[in-house]
Amino acid sequence: MDVTIKKEGAQTLVTLVGRLDTTNADQFQKDITPLMQDENPDIVLDCTDMEYTSSQGLRMFLLLQKSVSSRGGKMVMTNMKSQVKEVFDITGFSNIIKIL
Amino acid sequence: MENYGLDLHCSMLLDDYRELLPTLHQLEKVVADTLNGIVSDNGIYINAIEHRIKAEKSLAGKLELKGHKYNSIDDITDLLGARVITFYSDEVDKIAALVGKQFIVDWNNSIDKRKMHELDSFGYNSLHFICKVPKELYFNPEFPKLNDIRFEIQMRTAMQHVWATMYHDTGYKSGVEIPKEYLRNLNRLAGMLELADEQFSIIRTEINDYRRRVQNLVSTGEFEQVILDGDSFKSYLKLNPFDALNRKIAATNQAEIMPTSLIPYLEVLKRFHFNTLGDIEKMIKEEGDSAYQLAVYQLGNTDIDIISSSVALQNLILAKIIRSGSGEPFVKLFYDTLYGESDYNQERARRIIEDAKKLGILK
Repeated sequence: MDVTIKKEGAQTLVTLVGRLDTTNADQFQKDITPLMQDENPDIVLDCTDMEYTSSQGLRMFLLLQKSVSSRGGKMVMTNMKSQVKEVFDITGFSNIIKIL
Repeated sequence: MENYGLDLHCSMLLDDYRELLPTLHQLEKVVADTLNGIVSDNGIYINAIEHRIKAEKSLAGKLELKGHKYNSIDDITDLLGARVITFYSDEVDKIAALVGKQFIVDWNNSIDKRKMHELDSFGYNSLHFICKVPKELYFNPEFPKLNDIRFEIQMRTAMQHVWATMYHDTGYKSGVEIPKEYLRNLNRLAGMLELADEQFSIIRTEINDYRRRVQNLVSTGEFEQVILDGDSFKSYLKLNPFDALNRKIAATNQAEIMPTSLIPYLEVLKRFHFNTLGDIEKMIKEEGDSAYQLAVYQLGNTDIDIISSSVALQNLILAKIIRSGSGEPFVKLFYDTLYGESDYNQERARRIIEDAKKLGILK
């Protein structure tokens, strides 16, 4: 999973590329940790090139979402491929995380 | 220091005021803290608490007009003024009772302007208490005069406040100064706002009664009699009606269940003509097995070990739609209602119908 973090005005754009699974979940957590202390909590996760997420990935997104909400911000995930969206749907995570 | 052209007596009163200012600032803090405490400790939802110390220029203007009425600075009761603005008229009385408990109220000089109107007149409605801070509430030897200063607390509703503010904006200090035709219109408006205040209180009381009735019916399990709406759905969810099915589904993958709000499903339930809580109960009984099969079929092919607490309800509704023979367009409508319209929902609906066929759920 390649993670690119870019500031765009008051929000942070995070681009996710590849698969997010048990082999790289720890690295992903390290990548997103700075976002949990960021002054501007609003985050957009661009999932155009994300191929898959495992349970670990779902937990990381949930963790990030909680951190963003606790700081009064908003997190959205955009441009999900259908196979990734399906994981969010069947687990009910589409009801927890805002997906556009 | 400016003396505003006042005579000796009034200039001395103004000097006393300047000397008193540090104490007034401390008193303002005590009064504001106490009023905020009254409101928060008693869970009263109010519009605002305002407070101010009379500005020197304003006091000078008052002294110029009627300084001879005051023997000492202690005779002026509005050097500090506070105002509590409530949403409902019955809360003015509640605040007044609490203010009466916290402060020493000078009843001889306090006015209930709400009771001063004749049967055929309307106008300024507000409750004004002249108070002092008792030593049991606050005493500080650094401000020995604080407990002797009288101040004013006004209590009124937001409607009364709007009227009073607009009235004040006319620039007239009293009704006798206002041209008759404008006074009549202002008073008509006061009557209308008084009616609005009364109606808001009635509506709130009726809503609270309705909520209590719903809670009783839900707690006694009389679901057929409870119309599905925001209040009844929230009461129903407190019974955790989908927990058993969620646990059964989660057990398949030894999954952890993350709690989430099910309130977004109210719109879906209404869209699919669930009219009472009894309709939801019926769905749990009749569609429970199909919903379980559907959820497990989707999750069983993955190594996912985390689900949200919406999974049971989501699959119950899907199973009901599919088994009623409504087909793909209605499954898409389900997703459109829940997540917003998208082409993906069409694809998702098609696949759900395929899964249902494989499982023999589709009649």
